[in-house]
Amino acid sequence: MFTNYQQEGFFDEMFGLPGAYAGPLDHYTLVHERLNGLKPRELDEKQWLVNNGFLEQGITFTVYGDDAGTERIFPFDLLPRIIPDAEWSHLEKGLKQRIMALNTFLQDIYHDARIVKDGIVPVNVVQEAAHYRPEMVGVDVPQDIYLQICGTDIIRDAEGKYLVLEDNGRCPSGASYLLENREAMKRAFPDLYRRCGVRPVDNYPEQLLKTLQYLSPRPGQEPVCVLLTPGVYNSAYFEHTFLARKMGIEIVEGRDLIVIDHCVFMRTTKGLVQVDVIYRRIDDDFIDPKVFRKDSMLGVPGIMEAYLRGNVALANAVGTGVADDKVTYAYVPDMIRYYLGEEPILDNIPTYLGWKKDDQKFMLENLKELVVKAANESGGYGMLMGPSSTEAERKEFAIKIKDNPRNYIAQPVVSLSRHPTVCNEHLIEGRHIDFRPFILFGEEIEIVPGGLTRVALKKGSLVVNSSQGGGSKDSWVLRK
Amino acid sequence: MLSRVANSLYWLSRYIERTENLARLVDVNRYDSLDGSSLAESEVDDSNAFWEPLLSVTCTEEAYAEEQEKSEREIDVTWFVTFSGSSGNSIRDCIAQARENARMVRDQISEEMWLELNSFHLFMQSEKAETLWESQPEDFYRRTIKFCLLFAGLIDSTIRQDEAWQFIQIGKYLERADKITRLLDMLAYQKDPSRMKLASALRSCSAFSAFRSEYRGEITLNNVVGFLFFSESFPRSVRVCLRHIDDYLHAISGSQVGTYWNEAERLAGNTLAQLNFSSIENVLEVGHHEYIDQLQTRFNRIGECIFQTYILPPVPVDSDDFVSEEVIERKQQQQQ
Repeated sequence: MFTNYQQEGFFDEMFGLPGAYAGPLDHYTLVHERLNGLKPRELDEKQWLVNNGFLEQGITFTVYGDDAGTERIFPFDLLPRIIPDAEWSHLEKGLKQRIMALNTFLQDIYHDARIVKDGIVPVNVVQEAAHYRPEMVGVDVPQDIYLQICGTDIIRDAEGKYLVLEDNGRCPSGASYLLENREAMKRAFPDLYRRCGVRPVDNYPEQLLKTLQYLSPRPGQEPVCVLLTPGVYNSAYFEHTFLARKMGIEIVEGRDLIVIDHCVFMRTTKGLVQVDVIYRRIDDDFIDPKVFRKDSMLGVPGIMEAYLRGNVALANAVGTGVADDKVTYAYVPDMIRYYLGEEPILDNIPTYLGWKKDDQKFMLENLKELVVKAANESGGYGMLMGPSSTEAERKEFAIKIKDNPRNYIAQPVVSLSRHPTVCNEHLIEGRHIDFRPFILFGEEIEIVPGGLTRVALKKGSLVVNSSQGGGSKDSWVLRK
Repeated sequence: MLSRVANSLYWLSRYIERTENLARLVDVNRYDSLDGSSLAESEVDDSNAFWEPLLSVTCTEEAYAEEQEKSEREIDVTWFVTFSGSSGNSIRDCIAQARENARMVRDQISEEMWLELNSFHLFMQSEKAETLWESQPEDFYRRTIKFCLLFAGLIDSTIRQDEAWQFIQIGKYLERADKITRLLDMLAYQKDPSRMKLASALRSCSAFSAFRSEYRGEITLNNVVGFLFFSESFPRSVRVCLRHIDDYLHAISGSQVGTYWNEAERLAGNTLAQLNFSSIENVLEVGHHEYIDQLQTRFNRIGECIFQTYILPPVPVDSDDFVSEEVIERKQQQQQ
């Protein structure tokens, strides 16, 4: 199957640095051997088995802009991404350090703002972040934890070095795919899975529940935790029901909750039941029409007041979106040094900030070589890919940057690592990938050994988002 | 249990029961229509006249007429009742609705229930369904009925028999009672239904053999109505359905059978008592149609009262337009 495989000068997860062919890296030997011995027909059968399994179980996402509410499966690639133990330990340490710093940062900016006073982060970077919530200033959140669940996107550059691409601290999704992809691989390649010595990931829901319960404002009682979903039409609805079921908690919509005397209750057939902790999968904007968007039908009127009074806990906290801001991102290494007195274990991608004079000059002169991103967009939108851009697009972005410098950053184009991937006609070709592990911050910081590996299925594409032709792979962290 | 969840389970169950009743009804009628020689002459002339009662049982006359107006060709009634998307009540629609409700309570039902329902839904939405229906209609309806029976079996054997289960049961029996009374109404409406029609009605409730073991003699309208209303042991008689509804309502509230804590329980108990102590003579006194009409009003009221007691104690809603706008807006926001 690998006879005609072309590495084309990229760092390849299976074959390492480009150069003379030296066979697969040690931790890929077994997978390489198994795949090589597979006939195209067998590969097809396995792919069909997996796809059909996803479809029948309804592991689908909703395609927007389609009245029929078409449901698609998230394309799944049969070749697993493998991370050896040593690399994982490095990632784990780096991610723990990063979430510690980010959480302290959030606590700080909503209280004394020492980091601003000490001149490390400028005040406008904090307060002009689109998701900064002045309502949270001076509010103590349960256990001082803001980021209970964080999904951090990680890539590898041309040398195979792990770099952080962004932190998702609002409602990161994808954990259900992490678990379901594993189930699919166990069904498709049971023997291979067993022989490779892969660390299990199936205790994620239990850890998540523990993280939530830790926040309960009524200690001593069995905490009532619920998952708040925008509803059945949301693209991540499958994930919401999946996680609620695995945790054994109720999945509620805004209309199931009601606030009385600044406490939150859910409507049940036996009357009202008080809720302690809400794992909310609704953005701040929609959570309370009394405080944020007035037209929100998804939220619960009065819930913010209950939250501010400490009668109910929300995970993640309100106002964590500041940590998602791409300008904040640029300061994370400084935060690590400032709060923890340590050097960052995982590096950022070098980032130029529009509001800094020198940086802006550099950005405007080098648009063709850079990736420009809006500070608050996600999902691969609001981006300029310099090398493939047109003159007109570059002009448009130059104006945008000058008009609103705070809102734009630029980064050099990183050639994401590639991974062998099953493409049309059972051909295996290299495709670019990234990696999203999920970090849980409760009584302790826990990271399940694994994550969601997303793959850009289009040849040459660097965009891995599911809305733009991305797929996913199972990610195997090895015992050794 | 969350009120919204109870509501979804109740409707999930009603839609499955509706599917089964529809499939039986269409299949039996379809079979009879093959036997053209035994039809009255006027019926042979116009094949769709034969099917009109089917539309009336499924409350889809209007939707059919509308669809027919738009179409140039004559629309096949069996196709309409099975696949049409315009009535919202075709077999395909019912399965889609059941599945949508199941999706909302996926964390409450068993993996097996979801898998079977979802794959049957995928089948119904695919071209395979209509292809099978065209080439082997009998197989198609049998497959549909089998699915419903399988699903009922899964309900009985894969989830806890708790409150969720009780709401599921109430949905099932209320739907069943409703459909049987509609069927009887359709029969009584025809001045003097033929023996064949009566036998078909029995078969479409899968009641033929059961009827035979209670009534040895001739198949008459009064015997059939008497049996489907008052049989003490046939699981599809209106009386047995009401008995279950009464039992499960009390199981949910925890009150004693024979007493009542809410309006739904009072109505169910009252109606059950009436059925327990009536016979066909009482039906004839008021007339078939009136008797059935009264019962149907009762069933609707019971459904409304359950909703008001357990699902949504009344909230002010201005008009239907308001509701639909809200739903649309909710849908849009969810997609952000």
